[in-house]
Amino acid sequence: MIIDIHAHPVIYGAICADRGRVAFRQQNFGLYKSGPTPMDHIFNVLDHAGVDRTVLLAEDYSFDMKEPIVTNEEVRSLVDLAPDRFIGFASVDPRNAGAADSLRYAFGTLGLSGLKLNLSHLHMYPTDERLKELYRICEEAGKPVMFHAGMSWEPDSPSRWSRPILFEDVAVDYPELRFCLAHLGWPWIDETMMMVLKYRHVYTDTATVFMGSPKDYYRQVFMDGMDRGWFENSLSRKIMYGSNYPRFRQERVKDGLLALPVRDDVKKAVLGENAQVFLGWKEDRYD
Amino acid sequence: MTKLTTIELRSTEEFQMIKITDQVRKAVEESGVRNGVVFIISAHTTTSIMINESLPCVEKDIEIMLDRLVPADGDYVHTRMLHSYGTCSGNAPGHLKSMLCGNHMVLPVQDGKLVSGAAQDIYFVEFDGLKVRRCFIQVMGE
Repeated sequence: MIIDIHAHPVIYGAICADRGRVAFRQQNFGLYKSGPTPMDHIFNVLDHAGVDRTVLLAEDYSFDMKEPIVTNEEVRSLVDLAPDRFIGFASVDPRNAGAADSLRYAFGTLGLSGLKLNLSHLHMYPTDERLKELYRICEEAGKPVMFHAGMSWEPDSPSRWSRPILFEDVAVDYPELRFCLAHLGWPWIDETMMMVLKYRHVYTDTATVFMGSPKDYYRQVFMDGMDRGWFENSLSRKIMYGSNYPRFRQERVKDGLLALPVRDDVKKAVLGENAQVFLGWKEDRYD
Repeated sequence: MTKLTTIELRSTEEFQMIKITDQVRKAVEESGVRNGVVFIISAHTTTSIMINESLPCVEKDIEIMLDRLVPADGDYVHTRMLHSYGTCSGNAPGHLKSMLCGNHMVLPVQDGKLVSGAAQDIYFVEFDGLKVRRCFIQVMGE
């Protein structure tokens, strides 16, 4: 099973009926010229890319924006369109007084599968007191957290809040919490690799092609940037295929990973098996 | 007089030759123009309009020739984050193939009908699929 662990449904046609909402998303998510895409075309693209499941991420910074970029309800409505294709992650703004209740509602009533947080956009460090209740809820519910890590393309999102090493205290204080430091934590890839190597429930994803072609980029990161054996034998069970759609296309990211000169079992793990463990669907055989 | 018709197309492959002869013929016949020309124009920069013979072998030769001239894994400058889109550019080959093949074709209109050679079909050609696309059919004459 191929799972794209990192996609933003900001221009999915089914949640773009309101032009004002679309313009708000384009501006605040930093998409500008990219516009709404019909759902049948979305499914064609996923079919052509051979992607079986896609994690759709909500985005909530409503404390200062007044409304989420993508609401939990919008993500739920997309999952309802294709429950066999889409997996929904919630987002809550920890600066809002009711954030914990909103998260419990997203898990309990909306049935969403994890939590997305971009601390760069929220302007808070991973150890911020306002986040701790959210971590506890996720840990108790067995739901993973997708943290933005490293550089964020979103406006007003300084990277310093999301430096990978800053998440170490979360890994220590919440040892059963599964979380992903997205985008390989670029440009702090070494810090991200230290985190996924050391901490059992910390993962990363490949949603990080910001320069060059995917084939060149992944070869540079995983082959030239580290020993091939490190990737194949020590890190491969902690790295998940993520596209960062619509910032990059699922098919081209997948092709870039498939082009790596590594064992087939490693490719299979990165393209879907690791995501199944991260999502709590499959036994974690890490030891 | 002039009449502009816009058609929407959805490509389902990265490279795809979509035959639009019938849509052009219909647009000409509904335009009210008796004698003149029809321009078939792509609205995009990684697509083309072509006229060629609708044979799978010819279509495959066109695809192979373009891939040889503009390889998918070439060393391109247009491989970077585009801030105005908020997305990465990864489609330099599509832009270059579009430049090579051109964005429009022209055919005559006579007695309210499209005039074309027996072997000629009109294609909207996708170089950067899968996408939702638009094509302009501009009929001009009297």
